[in-house]
Amino acid sequence: MFINGASAISPLPVFDAVSAGVNVVPVLTQRGKVTEPDYGSLIDQKLIRRMSRIIRMGVATAMDALKQAGIQDPDAILTGTAYGCLEDTGIFLKRLVENKEEMLTPTAFIQSTHNTVGAQVALLLKCHSYNNTYVQRSHSFELSLMDARLWLTENPGSSVLVGAADELTDYSYALLERFAQFRNQWGGEGAAYFLVQSESNSASWARIEQIYTLFQPDLEEITAFATKLSEEQNGIDLLLSGMESGDVNADQYARIHGFIGEDIPVIHYKQYCGSYPTATAFACWLGAFWLKTGKVDAGSLQLNAPKRILIYQTDSMGYHSFILLKSC
Amino acid sequence: MNRDQLVEELKQQIIEQLNLQVKPSDIVAADPLFNEGLGLDSIDALELIVLMQQKYRIKLANAEDGPKVFQSVDTMADFIIANQTPQAG
Repeated sequence: MFINGASAISPLPVFDAVSAGVNVVPVLTQRGKVTEPDYGSLIDQKLIRRMSRIIRMGVATAMDALKQAGIQDPDAILTGTAYGCLEDTGIFLKRLVENKEEMLTPTAFIQSTHNTVGAQVALLLKCHSYNNTYVQRSHSFELSLMDARLWLTENPGSSVLVGAADELTDYSYALLERFAQFRNQWGGEGAAYFLVQSESNSASWARIEQIYTLFQPDLEEITAFATKLSEEQNGIDLLLSGMESGDVNADQYARIHGFIGEDIPVIHYKQYCGSYPTATAFACWLGAFWLKTGKVDAGSLQLNAPKRILIYQTDSMGYHSFILLKSC
Repeated sequence: MNRDQLVEELKQQIIEQLNLQVKPSDIVAADPLFNEGLGLDSIDALELIVLMQQKYRIKLANAEDGPKVFQSVDTMADFIIANQTPQAG
């Protein structure tokens, strides 16, 4: 399937990267907040006031991806999120306690569900098509992509809007930090949406050639897949790795790097977007952006005319995912 | 609190409760709150009902009265004045 429109909001100012360019440099922070664009030109002012940050960034990237592809009514909307709308959930629960479970206001409750981002996009578009949200920890985005691939296999001429969003709130940051989640890598957040179709066109960014997920695989299983991938693909130009500094899974990342070729350059994408469960959506945007522009430009690492970029991530829960992007 | 003060307080509370991007001085007390004017919708109506209960301890007994009560800031103020229980002492 082909990415024919893509948009991301991230701690790096990437929203208008195609027109304005982007300086891909590591973000130095402890808590990465997204660089928000001017939403006024993208979302009706009357609706913005009710939207929390995750909804705003999800809706804005979805609208931008659609606009790039010239699509107004997608045939499916698929969203991945691990934490969902945390800010609204926090507001709702706080009022529940403070007001002794009485006189609760509707807005925070309505918008506290995980599928709010996909629902808001559909409401704005008046789109009654298939709409699904995947909540599966760090596989949330990957499962959305898989569903998009299934949809396009069954409906070859259709358009699918697929993406992911997660936000970091004051509460979630404090809690996750207490669990030493950000000991090695700063906490991040972000949203990215893609308009995918089974055919490419002149505006295409990249082709998603492979999506593969594994849950707590044994070594043989993952070795077999990585070796097969390496043999079949005849040259991966770049590994976009989800490894964090001081990662407990460093050996696993090194093993995968060894299988696909130790001489293949590696970029650790979480230094740009921070650590959050759907960060692979940002990696997918970044890889597609480099394939579209025909150049990997990340400070000290420069690559001309990259053809294939592999995104690999794993975590201590045993989730592994591979996304292989190819230039069009 | 006299009526003018109540109107100003209501404007401020409506802005806060509904996260409106306007100043109190932008709201004309006699203008419609819904559709035209501030362009509020049915979710906002629920927020205003809760606001009235929480802040002024006034429950809207008949749902049919809603459109009349929430017509404007002026009508809300009149309804609050007419239904507020006098403070003891």
